[in-house]
Amino acid sequence: MLSGKLSADPVTRIGHGPEVDLALRTADLVKDYRRGRAVDGVSLAVAAGERVALLGPNGAGKTTTLLMCLGAIRPDAGEIEILGHRLPRGRSRAMQQVGFAAGYLPLPQSVRVIEYLRMFGRLYGLRRPDVAAREGLARFGIAQLDRAMGTELSSGQKTLVGIVKAAMHRPRLLVLDEPTASLDPDVALRVRTGLRELSTEQGTALLVTSHNMVEVERLCERVVFLSHGRVVANGTAAEIADRYGRDDLEDVFLHLARDRKSEVVP
Amino acid sequence: MTEVYGPVAGSFWRVMAVAGRHAYVLQRSPHRLFDVLVWPVVDVLLFGSIGVFASSRVNGGGQQVFLYLLIGVVLWHVVYQAQIGVATGFLEETWSRSVLNLMATPMREWEYIAGVALFGLAKLVVGVSAVALIVWGAYAFNVVAVGPGMIPVAALLLVIGWAIALFVIGLVLRFGSGAEAFAWGILFVVMPLSGVFYPVEALPPVLRPLAQALPTTHAFAAGRTLATGDPLPWDELALAATGTVVLVGIALGYLTWMLRIFRNRGYVTRYS
Repeated sequence: MLSGKLSADPVTRIGHGPEVDLALRTADLVKDYRRGRAVDGVSLAVAAGERVALLGPNGAGKTTTLLMCLGAIRPDAGEIEILGHRLPRGRSRAMQQVGFAAGYLPLPQSVRVIEYLRMFGRLYGLRRPDVAAREGLARFGIAQLDRAMGTELSSGQKTLVGIVKAAMHRPRLLVLDEPTASLDPDVALRVRTGLRELSTEQGTALLVTSHNMVEVERLCERVVFLSHGRVVANGTAAEIADRYGRDDLEDVFLHLARDRKSEVVP
Repeated sequence: MTEVYGPVAGSFWRVMAVAGRHAYVLQRSPHRLFDVLVWPVVDVLLFGSIGVFASSRVNGGGQQVFLYLLIGVVLWHVVYQAQIGVATGFLEETWSRSVLNLMATPMREWEYIAGVALFGLAKLVVGVSAVALIVWGAYAFNVVAVGPGMIPVAALLLVIGWAIALFVIGLVLRFGSGAEAFAWGILFVVMPLSGVFYPVEALPPVLRPLAQALPTTHAFAAGRTLATGDPLPWDELALAATGTVVLVGIALGYLTWMLRIFRNRGYVTRYS
């Protein structure tokens, strides 16, 4: 059952109506670490071409959820399906259509940008990785960096190269963990523009975590809030702000961060 | 439309991509040639000179000691280079915090291991060739002249080195950077027990059963037999091959187990 209304059940709350292709579907994901439960029954659905933000305070379970969706962490319970491939069995086939970048991951220092991208292009099975790499670099306005070494790049440039790496094989789902954490506003705008183009031109779905609420409101069509490993809100930025009686997403975020024991919004 | 390879060609290119990535790292980090070139030179000069000294002072059998030391150092570098190449290849991913990026690609675990092993094989050829050349140039010992019997012996030691490397990778997955020392140290625990430079009978009696259980012991014994001009000892080779199969099975089982723990406990966040 799919609903157009704001719902705490994200499987029934995707942004594109009842008949949609899902890029990602998770059901009742649970992950326990020794320090406690990190993810507690998270269900998500991201439609093809949809841009979704996964928000929440530190320790809310965002990164663990993303890493489970990538197959890097195994859930204790629940199901993950990416573009029809069930994880973990279908991980390799699913990952051919998924790109991943994180603002906190460095670039290897001993390789040139083009060598790094060529390697990942081959890992994604591209026949002409250099062509895809140069197209990606041009899309994000850093074509001149192709021969640069990892050590010669600013942190913002490294982040951009990481996003080019994630998108060069034209994935149908792009998973981005804090993609603009180290970028100045100008470069962040370039990233948002590039990502939006990818989504509209190629139908790439985005699942993005960020602590920048303004950026989320500008880039994403839908927001899923996590707190204590649970989905506590799911809808457009305006709907969520309205639901919590706050002015904007940042206010909601601050409210949730202060009140870590907040109830699930019905 | 982005053109992609089919499954078989895709696997091939993923293996090549991993090997190529490590080639770039080696090319830009000359100090990593230490394992490939410096250690072989040091070992050959050390053990070769001990052999020359021994053969000049010992009446009867001195030449045999010399021979044992030289064939031992050549074969030792087969297993050492094979192990260090694969183990440090994976460590490179942890140092550069590439583990998560690699796990988020279609690459399967075996493709990664094959890529690192392929690059390690190239390093091994360089390292062992350096050993063989120095042994020949400095001590007039021609490894090639020992004959084709050395091929299965070297092949078994190569596989043993890879198996031990898989065990080291499993340790690093489970225990993190604290287990890195095993990459360089684990073989030196095996070395005295394997009779690299001497027969097992030279070991204290209490250690001999343990030594006999190691496939390396039988491989080195076969190598010594060949070096002294005797025919290939098939019994030793069979024991070495059997032990190698068992070792590979244990190493793969251990690595699979540790990988499961790595994913279950979310240890990938150590490298992100």
